[in-house]
Amino acid sequence: MPESARSEYQEELSNLEAGGLGGLDMVSVALARTLEAVEHQDIELAQLVVADDDCIDGHYLEVHQSLITLLATQSPVATDLRLISALLHVLKSVERMGDQCVNICKVIPLTGNEPPADQEMVALILGMGKQTRALIVQAKRAFAERDIELARDLVRQDDFVDDLNRDCFRLALEIGDDADRREWAMTMLLAARAIERIADNAVDIGEQVAFVVTGLFREFEDASHPSV
Amino acid sequence: MLGAAGTKRDAAEAGSAGTAATGTAGLTQGASAVTGAVAKTIEMREVNLFYGAFHAVEDVTMTIEPNKVTALIGSSGCGKTTFLRSLNRMHELTPGASVKGEISLDGEDIYAPGVDPVQVRRLIGMVFQSPNPFPTMSIYDNVAAGLNLNVGKLKKTQKDAAVERSLRGANLWEEVKDRLDKPGLGLSGGQQQRLCIARAIAVEPEVLLMDEPCSALDPVATLAIEDLIGELKSRYTIVIVTHNMQQAARASDLTAFFNLEESGKPGRLVELGQTETIFTNPTQQATEDYVSGRFG
Repeated sequence: MPESARSEYQEELSNLEAGGLGGLDMVSVALARTLEAVEHQDIELAQLVVADDDCIDGHYLEVHQSLITLLATQSPVATDLRLISALLHVLKSVERMGDQCVNICKVIPLTGNEPPADQEMVALILGMGKQTRALIVQAKRAFAERDIELARDLVRQDDFVDDLNRDCFRLALEIGDDADRREWAMTMLLAARAIERIADNAVDIGEQVAFVVTGLFREFEDASHPSV
Repeated sequence: MLGAAGTKRDAAEAGSAGTAATGTAGLTQGASAVTGAVAKTIEMREVNLFYGAFHAVEDVTMTIEPNKVTALIGSSGCGKTTFLRSLNRMHELTPGASVKGEISLDGEDIYAPGVDPVQVRRLIGMVFQSPNPFPTMSIYDNVAAGLNLNVGKLKKTQKDAAVERSLRGANLWEEVKDRLDKPGLGLSGGQQQRLCIARAIAVEPEVLLMDEPCSALDPVATLAIEDLIGELKSRYTIVIVTHNMQQAARASDLTAFFNLEESGKPGRLVELGQTETIFTNPTQQATEDYVSGRFG
């Protein structure tokens, strides 16, 4: 194969990596808006997040198709093959993260214009969201820099999100007997759960970093075998 | 025994024309049996190959496992074909060529004094890059050529059985059974190559060496040969040289990457490993660069 054709392929692969990781920036923006919508009960902003998810999905399809074309035409092997496989995983995670933002934004209108919000619980959810956005940034950096230690550190960061999620659950149990407040709390638990899943997706991306670098896939943490 | 008597030196030429050459032991029974061949292990220790003063291959130590397909890959001039030809003592047919080191077949040194190279070539058959059936011979006679050289007179029924068994073994029988008396050259390229494989396995070798057996074939014929290779490995040890990396990835169990540091230097074995590993996570950067196309 001519040298120039091969360097075009390498350039295309680099561009697709940048594009795939760029999806994380889109998710980060969507999550920021989602949190703002939760904080201010902003139904219009929530609807915007739902509509903009089409952009994340379109981005997913575009990069995914280009990766499939590269597989078909360039027969990548070794590190290139692992990178493409990992990017396909990253794309799927990004798409799921976007969907979780949509899930949150869809429940915001259900609580009404002036819900009986518990400020402590709102603060916990905003804290989860802030921490999860940091995870997204860290996952992107770990992937771009092929930094396994940074990727592994995502597990530690994710533990904070899990702790906050448990605190939310505890608050919801203690929310009292008022039916409206209980309904609001249940809805917010759904939001907290969605954010917790976004953070898990960031950890999944970290696992792909380890796969690209070492060629071995291992879950950093196995939910079904927590002690492993 | 590799040193079996009763062989003919001139049969080496038949070997170089695409068929394993002469031998005696077991062939008369083999002509009517399904197969008497048993795949064997080839072990190389510090093998160095020369053309006169030119050092072509340096210090190769490796084991080729039985009932496995081992692919040899590497850029042109890295010595992989030279290496392949040393495995059945065809390298020494080139004037001035020489071998240092040890190559053994199931523990027997094939270069030991007293070992007949022609017998070695019967046990270790070769299939070449371009299909090379004997041009004046019929399909039947092409397959029977090795048998004729080996065991002289066979009963017609024995020979018929051996020809059919070999053509079936090469997945060619159904396509040619009604025209066995027609010239081998009348077949398509892919069929001719399978005819050459039938000719090679007619004498029941234990190892099959293939030097880019599909490079002259279209993708359909290539796939037929690759399928055949997959079937043959249950009976033989197979070593295949290929420039087609996807073929190495598809058709082999183990892959050996040969490389030379620069032009004029001898080729070396860089890495031998499971094919899956070589193409997903090789240990050497040079292997990674080669299989990924980052070379030149």
